Amino acid sequence: MRFLPLILKNSLRNRRRSFLTISSLAISLCLLGVLMALYYALFFSEPKADQALRLITRHRVSITMVMPLHYRDKIRAVPGVREVVTWQWFGGMYKNEQREQKYFFPRFGVEAARMFDVYRNFEIPEDQKQAFMSDRRACILSRRVAEAQELKIGDRVYIKGNIFPIDLDLTVKGIYDMDDGNEGLWFHMEQIEEGLKRLGSSRSFAGTFTILAESPEAVPRIQNAVDEMFANSEAPTRTETEQAFGLSFLAFLGNIKLILMSICAAVTFTILLVAANTVAMSVRERVREVGVLKTLGFTQQKILGLLLGESLAISLIGGAIGLLLAQGLCRVLAVGLAGFVPPDQLTIQLPVFLALLGISLLIGVASSAVPAWNAARTPILDALRVTD
Amino acid sequence: MSNEPIIRTSDLHKKFVRDEFEVHALTGANLEVHRGEFIALMGPSGSGKSTLLHLIAAMDRPTAGAIEVLGQDIASLSESAVARWRNHHIGFVFQNFNLIPVLTAHENVELPLKLTHLKKGERHQHALTALKLVGLSDRTDHYPRQLSGGQEQRVAIARAIVTDPDLLLCDEPTGNLDARSAQEVLTLLARLNKEHGKTIVMVTHDPHAAHFASKIRHLDKGELLPEGEVPEDWRAAPMASDDKT
Ligand SMILES: Nc1ncnc2c1ncn2[C@@H]1O[C@H](COP(=O)(O)OP(=O)(O)OP(=O)(O)O)[C@@H](O)[C@H]1O
Ligand SMILES: [Mg+2]
Repeated sequence: MRFLPLILKNSLRNRRRSFLTISSLAISLCLLGVLMALYYALFFSEPKADQALRLITRHRVSITMVMPLHYRDKIRAVPGVREVVTWQWFGGMYKNEQREQKYFFPRFGVEAARMFDVYRNFEIPEDQKQAFMSDRRACILSRRVAEAQELKIGDRVYIKGNIFPIDLDLTVKGIYDMDDGNEGLWFHMEQIEEGLKRLGSSRSFAGTFTILAESPEAVPRIQNAVDEMFANSEAPTRTETEQAFGLSFLAFLGNIKLILMSICAAVTFTILLVAANTVAMSVRERVREVGVLKTLGFTQQKILGLLLGESLAISLIGGAIGLLLAQGLCRVLAVGLAGFVPPDQLTIQLPVFLALLGISLLIGVASSAVPAWNAARTPILDALRVTD
Repeated sequence: MSNEPIIRTSDLHKKFVRDEFEVHALTGANLEVHRGEFIALMGPSGSGKSTLLHLIAAMDRPTAGAIEVLGQDIASLSESAVARWRNHHIGFVFQNFNLIPVLTAHENVELPLKLTHLKKGERHQHALTALKLVGLSDRTDHYPRQLSGGQEQRVAIARAIVTDPDLLLCDEPTGNLDARSAQEVLTLLARLNKEHGKTIVMVTHDPHAAHFASKIRHLDKGELLPEGEVPEDWRAAPMASDDKT
């Protein structure tokens, strides 16, 4: 493309304006990129093999309501179920978490004896696993949490209860990796039961059951069977895939899909307006130059190509910077959203990359099509007469 | 030098219609220019000099009459064919230089070559040669704003001749220049005409500039006067005002 140097020089001719335009494009496209990455990770990412086998059963009315513990054995008996484990979101406060967000991480009380049979993708050294299972005051941490909180094996972790009036005094016995982005601290659920017993109340109920299906085909069947089984009991249930369960947390925020989509659309439209305004301005200033180029023998089509090319150059530069920013921001967000979105999914994946590229191109063309076309068609003498 | 004229207009008319006004910019111009000639077109402001030049360069179309340039009936060419034709055969020099500000002298000169099939290296070389011809080989990397008016105009001339066109059309090339720069530019044009055989049509107000041409033709109120004739009131008025430039 022998005109590329000319195109680039022209598109960057007004330094300040180019800088402002490119920055606003970059920032908007960064925002767009993050939103689309989030959308993609939430609604399109393939569950990991094991995750696709897991279902979560909770109280039909609300996640905060509990179900009798004996449900576990009934669920276990449903055909296609390989194993069931119950676990409880503990909440609580670590250090001065209420003031400093950085101390937050999820904490789960779990039936330690079964958890590794259901969550088969825990990667943890065998000795650490045994050490955890055999000590009721032990806990294990995901690597990211351990690093963020600067905790290592043997350290004590104090968690002040808030949902439950119980304080935990735990010892780190293991550090695990998990490919589906599970982040948090796991401890023996008996800690909650015993604590409650000491306070005079007993607990034989569960907040959530995680089911491991024997095969992906069994998943929908189990889902129906479990919910039907308890439909008319005192605690009706709701069973969904682990992925859908993760999303239902976000549903507290409203219709996430619609919100994300409308923000994306609004952002795209805004960038389009900003870009169109800039291009119109820069083309108008240069109608005379169009006359000069025509005098030198440039055809209408060539000039149209040059003007479109300039606008494309700007929007692609902006898009590329935006993409890099978005990728960086996704990294940061992935840590914060680890509980909801698998961190390795929250990146600019190929479809999102292509979509952003397409939007950049679209903005480049759409913003300049009309002014470029008008300028290219201006009769040569009219163009030359324009004084700047 | 063949005797076949390379520009021939017969009974050329150009009428502009702006709103309800009609302006007859040219009323039946008959011009013949032969290869190797250096013609100066003179005449008072508004007499149709630029209009005639634009018609020759096919930058505009006549309202009536025939125009043949280099054996080509340019009025019959399509828009893009005209553009290509102009790129090959015409070099145009403006009064106000019209260089592209974001390009260096060398890049400006190279620009018309980008429309040809020449390779990068050849384009580079041709542009250098043209700049050398106008005496600016030491200014190749300067941007227009770093050049004096006279230098800018010489770059513009280099740009006009870089494709080795048959015809060089200049619309008041010294109109924006001080006397010394004007002298340089005119000397250059005369040299291009004599040494390189370029046919030149130059519009000018300045009798001194016209002096460099081999032939002078006068226009008056859209009428191209026969060879050797001048407008009646010419000698009295314009001389005095032209001394200012
Ligand atoms: N595009 C146009 N629309 C309307 N009228 C025009 C247009 N171009 C030129 N004219 C008119 O045609 C006449 C001849 O104009 P032209 O530019 O050829 O004059 P000129 O001899 O070059 O004058 P000057 O010495 O001032 O450059 C003028 O009256 C001018 O106003
Ligand atoms: Mg004129």
